[in-house]
Amino acid sequence: MFGFGWLKNFASPSELRKAGVLGMNRRNFNVISKYNNRRLYPLVDDKVQTKFLAQKVGITTPHLIGVVSVQNEVKNLLEIVKGFKEFVVKPAHGSGGKGVLVIKRYTPTEFETTSGRLLTFNEVYQHISNILSGLYSLGGQYDVALIEELVHFSPIFSEYSYQGVPDVRVIVYKGYPTMSMMRLSTKASGGRANLHQGAVGVGLDIKTGKSLKGVMWNMPIEFHPDTNADLSTLEVPFWREHLLIAAKGYEMTGLGYLGADIVLDEFRGPMMLELNARPGLAIQIANGKGLAQILKKIDKYYPKKLSPEERVDYVLNKAGK
Amino acid sequence: MLKKFISVRFILTIGLILSVCFAAYSIYYKIRYWGFDWAPKKSTTVWTIEAQINFVPTGEPIKVSLTTPKVSKEYKILDEDVVADGYKVSKDTKENRIILSSAPREEKQQLYYRILLFDNEDGKGKIPAPVPSNPEKPILDEQKMAVAKELLELSAKQPGNLPQQVIRLLNQTPPDATVLAFLPMKKSQKEIAEATMNLLALKNVPTRLVRGIKLEENKKSFTPDLMIEAYTEGRWTLYSLKTGKKGLPEDFVVIQRGGDSLLDVEGGEDSVVKYSVLKSISSSFNLARHRAKLANQTTWFDYSIYSLPLSEQNTLKWLMIFPLAILIIVLMRNVIGVQTMGTFTPMLISMALVKTGFWSGLICFSFIIFIGLLIRALLSKLNLLLVPRISAVVIVVILMMQALTICGYQLKLDIAASAVFFPIIITAWIIERASITWEEDGAMNATKEIVFSVLVAIITYFVICNEYIRHIMFAFNELNLVILFLVMLLGTYTGYRLTELKRFAPLVKKG
Repeated sequence: MFGFGWLKNFASPSELRKAGVLGMNRRNFNVISKYNNRRLYPLVDDKVQTKFLAQKVGITTPHLIGVVSVQNEVKNLLEIVKGFKEFVVKPAHGSGGKGVLVIKRYTPTEFETTSGRLLTFNEVYQHISNILSGLYSLGGQYDVALIEELVHFSPIFSEYSYQGVPDVRVIVYKGYPTMSMMRLSTKASGGRANLHQGAVGVGLDIKTGKSLKGVMWNMPIEFHPDTNADLSTLEVPFWREHLLIAAKGYEMTGLGYLGADIVLDEFRGPMMLELNARPGLAIQIANGKGLAQILKKIDKYYPKKLSPEERVDYVLNKAGK
Repeated sequence: MLKKFISVRFILTIGLILSVCFAAYSIYYKIRYWGFDWAPKKSTTVWTIEAQINFVPTGEPIKVSLTTPKVSKEYKILDEDVVADGYKVSKDTKENRIILSSAPREEKQQLYYRILLFDNEDGKGKIPAPVPSNPEKPILDEQKMAVAKELLELSAKQPGNLPQQVIRLLNQTPPDATVLAFLPMKKSQKEIAEATMNLLALKNVPTRLVRGIKLEENKKSFTPDLMIEAYTEGRWTLYSLKTGKKGLPEDFVVIQRGGDSLLDVEGGEDSVVKYSVLKSISSSFNLARHRAKLANQTTWFDYSIYSLPLSEQNTLKWLMIFPLAILIIVLMRNVIGVQTMGTFTPMLISMALVKTGFWSGLICFSFIIFIGLLIRALLSKLNLLLVPRISAVVIVVILMMQALTICGYQLKLDIAASAVFFPIIITAWIIERASITWEEDGAMNATKEIVFSVLVAIITYFVICNEYIRHIMFAFNELNLVILFLVMLLGTYTGYRLTELKRFAPLVKKG
């Protein structure tokens, strides 16, 4: 009692187990190492491959403008993006939004990013060079740079996000959409959508796509810290389409446990940005409930060998009592 | 699936139990037969005593007889060797003498006898001594006898028992007038010894002269010390001739007891024997072989690391601590859940800290990282490519280490001189990673990562620096097998990490 007040901030392991919280060790040992064959990782780690696979199974992704794979090609950037008013440069092996450069407007000498920063051609050149030399890739190995069309993210979310693209993260277990959240960038997160960098996570009801609760820095919040938008009113349209994209990720990669990052384009509807073979666990906090129980339920009761559409419908109609 | 998981854990648990059993037996064996110890044994001291014998041959057949140290009580002979070209060597074990004989020679002779002794832990017992007969009374003229009697009376005022009283009286400064009548003003050890023996003989106390060597570091060319042994209260006791202190002094090897000469040379003249002592600290492991031999347990020993040359042993000693450091890292990451910069970076930092010393290493490391980050910030303005940029950071780190070492030397700052020991590439990588984290996740995250890495490094440092732990991990290296299974078993740990208890606490519905 005396001096042990800080203990209140800790939960006991049994309490966590009761709440069905999935821990990092358990995720790695019981889920990832079991259902995610290492051989499949390159499929999601390489965004070029992901894109082609996605097209095969009919998942919408941002259009590919071009790929820069050798230093020599970097100087041809202007030719590659010719005819496009805006473009995005990203490393094929990047993760967590690292190394993504979004150009909103450009002239041959000056490039303006979404945050309004002005870059010279040389700086953009440098950025692509860095991508190629592996600065943003996971193992530091040589990489290629993707040049994609910009996502015109739906204005319905604009008041929920400070810069950056708000995206929906869906955890898919054995093909079933299991848990989802929306990630909203903030000033603190520097326009990025990673929770550990200070982005806001809003848990979404997997059946409806409606907001459950918001968290930032692991603490519950009700309003977006920068835009003051009421997070409880957040509702993702085209929810079924979102889930379908996520569910198809299973057929596409064969990964038993994956995280699909989906954005909503104003004109093209939901599209997949990337897949993640080791999605984080912060989504549990945003949803206010543990993953372990749901995974167990899927193991035990959910039917096997359904099509993606059937699985999504199963989740939307029956799952969770 | 679940079954498979249980069986993996089961197999590993069995492995762990087996390895614990094996380690337990092996530890028992090493302690029992090789004389290993849990405590980092005061490394056993090995003394090299060298006797240099010089004499001029007279042209007759030469026979040199030298007293060799009496062993058995405190010291054991590790090795013995004679440097005497063309001499026949024989030993007289009863008299503790070594005899070198040769045909007549002409030039001045110089012979060496070398003996290596080590502390004999097992042999600390009493040697039974026969009861000596009453000593012969010294033949003194009347005047001297009167003085002697007066001295004995005077000595009664001195503290201690009889031999001590006598020795103290004789050593008094300034000397008593009576003492001066008995001994010259400037008296040698030998004269004091003889006087003491004479006086004690008058009191019917048997005495004998003892020659020995005080083992001190790097003593060169000296003659053996004299002590006196008196038979009182039913046993022989040694007395220092200077202070009258009772008992065998520390690190003292008795070469000879009784009146025999140290060195007898037949067929030579002007013979002199000079001793030198060299102290070398030898790890107990070096002597383990000797011990193993004494216990007839050498077979295994030859295939253990302790039979290797010392330099290899030292390298291995260093390596043997690694598994423990790795275990700590595993615990830190998978059980505690501390996020560090790179998996084994903290371990490498702690290894460097061992070489540099704690504070100086820490200060130096912080300094290098700090300056490195500043320079890295400048480099990022230049927009260099990744590999050349890291290479530049590596070179900057090397230059910084160089500058620090030179400054440290000139300014006599040991702290700075320790810079050399940091792993260059790792340090450069830390700087690079930290600066990327800084740019992308902000200063908070970068600082947090560095601080956590250093924290883990410090914990690791204190564990691997502990003299006891280091000793145990080297002496009982089979423990590494236990660690191996422990680490593998931790690989199946699916419980929550300590930090997750806090992280996911909001998920627990309170009340």
